[in-house]
Amino acid sequence: MNNTAPRISTVIVDDEELARRVMREFLAAHGDVDVVAECGNGFEAVKIISEARPDLLLLDIQMPKLDGFEVLELVGGDVTVIFVTAYDQYAIRAFEVHAVDYLLKPFSPERLAEALDRARGRIATREKVPSGLIAAGRARQTPLERILIRDRADVHVIPVEKIDYLESQDDYVSVKTGGKAYLKEQTLAELETLLDKDVFVRVHRRYILNIARLAKIELAVKDNRIAILADGTKLPISRSGYARLKELLK
Amino acid sequence: MHPILSDRRRLGLYVLGWLPIGLLLTAGLSERTSWLASAAILLPITVVFAFISLNAGYLCRVFPIDARSNIWRTAFVHVVAAAMASAIWIGIGLIWVSGLDLIAPDLHARATFSERRLLIFAVGALLFWLASILHYLLIAFEASQQAERRAIELSLLTRDAELRALRAQIDPHFLFNSLHSISALTTVDPAAARRMCLLLAEFLRETLRLGSTQRISLADEFALADRFLEIERVRLGPRLQVTRETDPQATACLVPPLLIQPLVENAVVHGVSQLVDGGTIRIAASRGGPTLTIRIENPCDPDRPRAKRPGLGLELLKKRVVTQFGMDGAVIVEENAGRFRVEVRIPAVDAA
Repeated sequence: MNNTAPRISTVIVDDEELARRVMREFLAAHGDVDVVAECGNGFEAVKIISEARPDLLLLDIQMPKLDGFEVLELVGGDVTVIFVTAYDQYAIRAFEVHAVDYLLKPFSPERLAEALDRARGRIATREKVPSGLIAAGRARQTPLERILIRDRADVHVIPVEKIDYLESQDDYVSVKTGGKAYLKEQTLAELETLLDKDVFVRVHRRYILNIARLAKIELAVKDNRIAILADGTKLPISRSGYARLKELLK
Repeated sequence: MHPILSDRRRLGLYVLGWLPIGLLLTAGLSERTSWLASAAILLPITVVFAFISLNAGYLCRVFPIDARSNIWRTAFVHVVAAAMASAIWIGIGLIWVSGLDLIAPDLHARATFSERRLLIFAVGALLFWLASILHYLLIAFEASQQAERRAIELSLLTRDAELRALRAQIDPHFLFNSLHSISALTTVDPAAARRMCLLLAEFLRETLRLGSTQRISLADEFALADRFLEIERVRLGPRLQVTRETDPQATACLVPPLLIQPLVENAVVHGVSQLVDGGTIRIAASRGGPTLTIRIENPCDPDRPRAKRPGLGLELLKKRVVTQFGMDGAVIVEENAGRFRVEVRIPAVDAA
C-alpha cells in the first residue's frame, strides 16, 4: 500500500511579488504541494499553465492585461482553481466558474489550509468543469468588450470595436480584424449572444458583421444581396440577415 | 412687531398704496361738496385707517388658513372684525370732522360726513377685508420663501457632508492589499513590515485630518501623495516610478485638501498597476500669474476594459472644482496613445 498522498502541481499567479512570496511561504507547510511555476501577469500565466498543465491554480483576479477570469477562460476547465484577491465582489462569479475556494487578502495559513483541503477533494475525484460554464461566468459582463484568443502559448486580446467580421468555421469562429484572422474555440451562435446587438449583426448563417465596417449593400443576382466592407471585403447576406440589417440601420 | 411696521421701506410703500384709495374716496365725496373739503375730511382719516387695517395682520396670524382651519369661523371673525374696525374708524372720523368744524366752519365737514357715514362705514369694512386678504397673501409668500431657504440650506448642508465624506474616503482594497503586504513582510523583512505599518498609519491619519480642513498648502497635499506612493511601491516594486517637477511658488499655494491625492491614486490603480512592466507617473505643478496648474500624467493600457477606467472619482473631482471655483477652475482629462493626463487649473492663492 502506498500511503503518500498524491503530489499536487501548483501554479501561483499574482502580479505582486510580495503576495507570491507569502503564498509560497504558507504553502511550504504542505508537503504534497509542488509549486511548479509563478507568474506575474495573465499572459505569462496562460502560457505557463498551457505548458505545465498544473493540478491547482492559485489565481489573483486583478492583474494587468488579463484578469483571473480571463486567464481561466483561456486555459480551460481541467485545472482546480482557488481565487486569491483583495476584492470581495467577485465571489459569486468565482463559484459560477467552479472555483473550489475564494481567499480574501490578507488571509491566514489556516484559511489557506482549508482551501487546500477542498482542492485535494476536487483533485482526487478528478472532477472536470464543463468549459461552457467558464465562458458563462465571463458572459455576466455582456456585452463583451474584448475577445480573448489563445494561439498555442500566445494570447491575443482583441477589443470588439477592432473586429471587422466573424466567420463560422464548424466549432470555431474566425475573428477578422485589420486583415488578420484569429481562430477562437467557440461557436458563432454562442459568440453572437455575447456581443453588443446594436453593433454586431448576423447577416448570414456563417457571418457576423461589425456594422461600423459596412460601406454599402449591393444587389447581386436575383434577391441576393452582398455586403461590401470598408476594406472591400464582400460578404453574402441572407434574406433574414437583410431583415436584421434593415432593422438596425433604421 | 408687525412685518410692515418693522421695515421703513415697506411702511412707505404701504402708505403710498393707500393714497389712491384716499383719493378715490375723496372723489366720491366731492360731488357733495368741494374737492378741498372732501380731501380735508377723508385723506387724514384714510391714513388713520391704513394703520387700523394693519390689525388684520394679527387676526390673520391667529386664524391661519390651512387644512385644519374652520373656514366659516374664520370668515365670521373677519366680518365682525371689519365691522368693528370700520365703526372705530367712523368714531375717529366724527371726532376729526368736529375738530374741522371748529377750525374751518365753512367746510361743513361734520354735516357732509354724517350724511355719508353709512357709505363710508361700508367702504371701511370692505377695505379691512381687502387688508386681511393681502395679509394672508403676505403670510403665504413668507412661508414659501422660508421653505425655499430651508431647502437651500439643507441641500448645502447635505452636499457639504457628502463632500467631506468623499474626501476622506479610502479605497478598502488599498487597505487590504497593504495589510497583505505587511503580512508577507513580517517573516522576510520585519523592519520593512514595521515601516509599512507606520506609513499606513500616517497616511490614514493625514487623510482623516485633511478631510475636515478647508485649505492646505500644495506641499502638504504632495506629502500625503508621497506616503501613498511609498506604500504602493512596497506592493508594486520597481513597476512604480514617480518623477516630480514642482516650482516652489506653486507648492506654497493653498488648495482644497485631497484634490490631488485621488488623481495620484487613479494613476496607480488604473494606470501603472494595469501594465505588466509598470511605468512612470509624472507629477508637475507650476504657477503662471493668477493660475495654479497641476498636471498628473501616467502610462496606461489603451486596450483595458471600460470597468478599469477612472470614472466616478474624476467626475467628483470635476464637480468639486466647479462648485468651489466656478469659471476660474478647470479639469482637463486626456487620453492619447497609452498616456493618460489630467490637468487641474485653479486660482493661485498664497498661504498667508
